[in-house]
Amino acid sequence: MARLHSETRAVLRGLAFLSPWLVGFIAFTLVPIALSLYYSFCDYSLLQPPLYKGLTNYHLLVHDAVFWKALGNTAIYALMALPLGMLVALGVAMLLNVKIRGLTIYRTVIFLPSLVPTAASAMLWLWLFNAKLGLINVGLRAIGVANPPGWLTDVRWSMPALVLMSFWGIGNTVIIYLAGLQDVPRELYEAASIDGASTLRQIWHVTLPSISPVIFFNLIMGIIGTLQVFATPYIMTGGGPARSTYFYTMYLYDNAFSYLKMGYASAMAWIQLLIVLALTALAAWSSKKWVHYSGN
Amino acid sequence: MASFSTRVFSGLKYVVSAALIFSAAALLAFGPRAGEEVPKNCVVVDYWEKWTGEEEAAMRQIVDDFNSTVGRDKHIFVRYLSTSNIEQKTLVAAAAGVPPDVAGLYNQDIPQFGAMNSLEPLEDMAVERGITADKYKKVFWDEGHYDGHLYGLVSTAYDIALYYNKSIYSEGASALRARGLDPERAPGTIAELDEYAHTLDRIDPSGRIILAGYIPAEPGWYINYTCIWFGGSWWNDGEHKFTFTDPGVLRAYNWINSYSKRLGPKAVAEFQSGFGAIDTPTNPFLAPTVAMVQHGTFFARFIHHLKPSMDGQWAAAPFPSYDPKLRDVTYCNCDVLVIPRGSKHKHEAFEFIAFVNRQDEMEKLANLHCKISPLAKVSEGFLDHHNNPYIRVFDALAASPNAHPTEPVPILPEVNDELNDFTQRLALQQVTPEEGLRQVQERLQQKYDDFIADQLRRKAMEH
Repeated sequence: MARLHSETRAVLRGLAFLSPWLVGFIAFTLVPIALSLYYSFCDYSLLQPPLYKGLTNYHLLVHDAVFWKALGNTAIYALMALPLGMLVALGVAMLLNVKIRGLTIYRTVIFLPSLVPTAASAMLWLWLFNAKLGLINVGLRAIGVANPPGWLTDVRWSMPALVLMSFWGIGNTVIIYLAGLQDVPRELYEAASIDGASTLRQIWHVTLPSISPVIFFNLIMGIIGTLQVFATPYIMTGGGPARSTYFYTMYLYDNAFSYLKMGYASAMAWIQLLIVLALTALAAWSSKKWVHYSGN
Repeated sequence: MASFSTRVFSGLKYVVSAALIFSAAALLAFGPRAGEEVPKNCVVVDYWEKWTGEEEAAMRQIVDDFNSTVGRDKHIFVRYLSTSNIEQKTLVAAAAGVPPDVAGLYNQDIPQFGAMNSLEPLEDMAVERGITADKYKKVFWDEGHYDGHLYGLVSTAYDIALYYNKSIYSEGASALRARGLDPERAPGTIAELDEYAHTLDRIDPSGRIILAGYIPAEPGWYINYTCIWFGGSWWNDGEHKFTFTDPGVLRAYNWINSYSKRLGPKAVAEFQSGFGAIDTPTNPFLAPTVAMVQHGTFFARFIHHLKPSMDGQWAAAPFPSYDPKLRDVTYCNCDVLVIPRGSKHKHEAFEFIAFVNRQDEMEKLANLHCKISPLAKVSEGFLDHHNNPYIRVFDALAASPNAHPTEPVPILPEVNDELNDFTQRLALQQVTPEEGLRQVQERLQQKYDDFIADQLRRKAMEH
């Protein structure tokens, strides 16, 4: 009995120490999540009490052309930015894994852009992509391209421009890959080398399987990140031209804070959550076939 | 006997606790203090405003005037806070039940907030203080209303005219004269404006625009109201219907489209990408790469501050209309002072709003902001010493029967976004004016009907 009493006291003490986080989590995360689910079935503007309207918001979303446009744009962006970003980051990480002079400088240079605030880097790229005066087009004209792309002013180039810009912030991903690469046992390369494997074969048969958990982690983070892209296009293009860079989260934000349709925005948020969950589950399911953990 | 590590930990605990207590005490003693000292026995009116920089400082002068005169006598103290995204912050504060007593919103927020019953009606308090329609230019009195209620009174106001660069006119004088145009005056009709613009355009052999006489998308802030210069309107307030397929609206968008067609969508897009914002010297009117722009009264302040050498080299005139008989057409816009529902000091808040609407204070603020006075009565001193040398043009336009307010539509943010998207697609030649307007009409009418249906259902449930 006394032991039970002391265990209860220990639990209570533990909960007391945990309470700052627990209260914060319940008040600022759990309750808002639950409320947003309820609001997704309501007409709610923040200014008036929520008015229950069943599945109307979801029904309207299905028939909303801008919703599909924003969802399509987000999917295209994710399909372009995620695999390319992962490839570029992996390539850069491999280059930074080679022992050469000034390696720390290169690593710093690659990581630095990811420390630049989003607004600042957006302004920088806004000027780089400027169709008339931008450094990119000035350079292209200098090498003889008479009609360089309009980048952010051209519906065909605005999306690729944003994808290109997303590579600017790969520093974090590179660092994670680099940590994974440095964990690959040297003896595996030595064994492969003795067996006559070329560099490409060593990458394919040793490096990639060895860092597959890291690739998996970056894939999950990439799925979540690319499906929530917001700040950069919001600052750089405002969704234009002609909604060619109008992403899902931007439409969600506009519905919530500009049109004051919190219920509609909540429904969008839940659909987004379900999409992210489904894709993450798919990635997790497929990981059984291609992710190799060292203990297995 | 306690181990060494336990003793170290125990000692460390006291050191950390002492450090925390000391930091807290230091913060209390020397930490930040409220910026203003509130006089004793005063009701504090919290006033949130959107402005920063010079505009914020100008309003602070008015707040100080109030606090040192009427406020002192009536024991009211206005606490002024400048904040970005004013409408969103007011919205969130109102939802939380702690709104400011006065909020400086945009006129376009009035229908949206008013329709959601989140603003305090001001008509009774206004009548008590003799603030009536006849004291205002009609358009600005209307701007404060939605659905028969007065929800806001104007703090600053402006209207739109055509700014033209006299130096560029002089340089192109012979070409203008050759086409029978007078380089000493502004165009009188839309057809003339097109002629002037075409004559002043400078295009290089590759098709790149060096200088544009005029382009409707610069600055494009008022492009959604272009139809008023074509005798059209996209909103029928009597029937609560959008009228985007109105012939006047279609004429306006055909005209906007004609510039993109003539100059080429790619050339225009590239040309525009070189434009700086209004508050930079790379602004195309200052650069100067555009000879004529449609702008508000306040633009004169930017010209003077950013390029004083241009003083005297520009002029302003009424923006021309499609029909020569349709004269002195303008679009009017304003900032409004409102009392959000839930305000704890409504009467004191209105005391301040009424003070701002006094002729002397209103003219002082208007001149500091380089804007017009929304009041019907304007002093000669205000007109004579205003920072915009063409203030009489702007003042007369706002008083004209053809002065047009922002449409009182509660879904204005959606209307603006839809129209901006349509205008961009039009500029890129992705859609015809007829087809685009039909799509806009369909989408927005549906959204408006849904919004009204929800509000009616809400009212029915409340009853």
